[in-house]
Amino acid sequence: MRKIWAIARNDLRIIFREKDIWINLIVIPVILSFVIGYANGAGRVASAPEAPDVIIDVIDGDGSATSQEFLAALRAANPNFVLCPADNDDGDRCELGGAAFDAALAETRLRDQTALALLDIPAGFGTDLAAGQNVEIIYRSNENATAPSFILQAVQVSVQRLGASIVAERVGTAAALTAPGLTLDEGEQAALKSDIRSRASDLLAAQSSYVNEVVSETAGTQTNPGSGGFSQSTPGMASMYVMFAVFPAAVAFMTERQQGTLQRLVTMPITRWQLLGGKLLARFLLGMLQYSIVFAFGYLVLGVRFGNDPLALLLTMIVFTLCITALTLALATLLRSEAQASAVTLLLTLTLAPLGGAWWPLEIVPDWMRTLGHVSPVAWAMDSYTSLIFYNGSLATVLPYIGVLAGMAAVCFAFGVARFRIE
Amino acid sequence: MQNGKNGTLVEVRDLAKTFKGKNGKDVAAVKGVSLDIRQGEIFSLLGPNGAGKTTTISMISGLLAPTRGDARIGGYSITRQGIDAKKLIGVVPQEIALYPTLTARQNLEFFGRMYSMGGAELTKRVDEVLDFIDLTDRQHDKIETFSGGMKRRVNIGVGLLHKPRLLYMDEPTVGIDPQNRRRVLDTVKRLQSEQGMTVLYTSHLMEEVQEISDRIAIIDHGQIIAGGTLGELIQQIGEEDRIFLKVGAAAISEAQLAQLRRSVEGVTKATHDRREIKGEDDAVVDVDGVITVLAKRGRKALPPLLQAAEEADITVLSVEVREPDLEAVFLHLTGRALRD
Repeated sequence: MRKIWAIARNDLRIIFREKDIWINLIVIPVILSFVIGYANGAGRVASAPEAPDVIIDVIDGDGSATSQEFLAALRAANPNFVLCPADNDDGDRCELGGAAFDAALAETRLRDQTALALLDIPAGFGTDLAAGQNVEIIYRSNENATAPSFILQAVQVSVQRLGASIVAERVGTAAALTAPGLTLDEGEQAALKSDIRSRASDLLAAQSSYVNEVVSETAGTQTNPGSGGFSQSTPGMASMYVMFAVFPAAVAFMTERQQGTLQRLVTMPITRWQLLGGKLLARFLLGMLQYSIVFAFGYLVLGVRFGNDPLALLLTMIVFTLCITALTLALATLLRSEAQASAVTLLLTLTLAPLGGAWWPLEIVPDWMRTLGHVSPVAWAMDSYTSLIFYNGSLATVLPYIGVLAGMAAVCFAFGVARFRIE
Repeated sequence: MQNGKNGTLVEVRDLAKTFKGKNGKDVAAVKGVSLDIRQGEIFSLLGPNGAGKTTTISMISGLLAPTRGDARIGGYSITRQGIDAKKLIGVVPQEIALYPTLTARQNLEFFGRMYSMGGAELTKRVDEVLDFIDLTDRQHDKIETFSGGMKRRVNIGVGLLHKPRLLYMDEPTVGIDPQNRRRVLDTVKRLQSEQGMTVLYTSHLMEEVQEISDRIAIIDHGQIIAGGTLGELIQQIGEEDRIFLKVGAAAISEAQLAQLRRSVEGVTKATHDRREIKGEDDAVVDVDGVITVLAKRGRKALPPLLQAAEEADITVLSVEVREPDLEAVFLHLTGRALRD
């Protein structure tokens, strides 16, 4: 173990002699975390992380009790939703600035991202729904890629909930009217309908897990929707820069082979495992340092909170870095020159990172691309971070992601060790 | 750890290495080398570039796995007891195998740790080595700021850190100026005389091999073609002198060469080599022709030889007589000059 540590320490000493190491380790990843996070909408939303208002403009062309019921359900789905202009107050939560709300203004507000989404409830919404006909709510999101998905989910849930209560009303009333010996006049029928619908609504609303069930198809209850930008960019950029920190080991193997130091080490009384272990340990530690730097910046400066399970967070960091280290070893056995290694590792980083959701969340990409993205270890790491940061995930929740990363690491290590040659 | 019979430290038996060539066919770089190196001697492997010297030394030092055969260092098999064998050897590779951005001291300390050295022992030993290679005053300078000769000295110093019983030096004077070459050769001799170290030295330069070696093995095309002390090797060619007759661009026929051989007593061989000298545009700008004559007692044979040349209508531009040396041995054994 002393020789492994001596090799790792020597490599780290050489790495930290590089002139631009701190720029690569700190300056660029930190700037990118901020810029990408801001581009993903963090600038606006994260400015008030304690009580982030999610402004949704509503054009209620129906103005019926049913449309009001739907909007109430939407409010209940997320306490941070501010449905404008109805929810505006003296503090101008809707940021209307005294302007009269109309379709044109709503269009402008959506475009300039004052509102995250626009709901257009058509006239006849209530009557069509009561008649059992198809209804259509127009949902439009702005170009902010991260925030709207949870709004859309809430809208869908609220529509489903409203539909379910109306179905309950219709079925219940029909059942009552066909019951033998029971006759109701129109007033009694209306009262019965109202009673059944009210009870159904209450029952559905009481099922607090109802909204969560929809969201939990991906990761559970979304606890941190407002800080999506930085919460997305911090683990994303950190993971990408872990690759930038670790992949150069493939180039370093070529350099050492070329300058003869690798061959010299082989003529010394150390085993192949000690040699490989030392070399890879150095890069692993560098990768962990990279994670620590960007995460610390995210926590202290950008206000990112990493969930409530530090062990799960640490394990994800460790296993992802291990996976990239193993991939580096595998790559080093396939590449033949320093130039080739530099080009391939750069290309790989700039492919695996966006593909795996380091630049934007995979929730916004088509299903086929999301599936393809999981070829990248970054996707599994980001799944784990998303679960921990946004949905209060635990070790049990993220264990499958960690398991996949560990599996990838094992395959790459086995391949690399089997193929690694000094000569 | 033990030596073999007669104080043998290194026993190499039937060592062979085959590589895959670019066309997929096997290329035999070393074809069954066997040799013994005795404790405390300087043993040189002499051969032209590509003869198999580095491949042989790479197998003996554990860098390359032999395709066939084995080597034992102090009784330890390099293929089966590699770690134990490697503890006894120090390797000075042909290239400067150092970390250029680290200082001389940091390089020595790091490589010392690979031999399980540490703490005060390592510090003391690094100080000794720095003193031995005369770089104490530059110990905190980065290798990349050193001259070629200074890098060579650190390169040698790394091989000496753990006081090895056997030091491999693979062409350690390649690419350095005469002053530093002298320094390296003196270092090798000091290692033997002051520390009793056994040295396995490879080179394609017969002058330095001739100067420092106790015993020499000549290797060509992956095989040892002769071995022994300098005297023993020269005896193999009958102690003939070589006479070089420069003839310029003139064409020399086989009949003219036969006349030289017939006319002068003691001449055993006369060959003509013609070398084209090309300019920058690859055009031939001159032709350099030399007749090489092997003769016993060359200085005595020279006057009749020049007369015979004149009779054979050969115009001699200049003459050089060389006494038997390794170059002559190699020429005798292979029909080629060592530098070809």
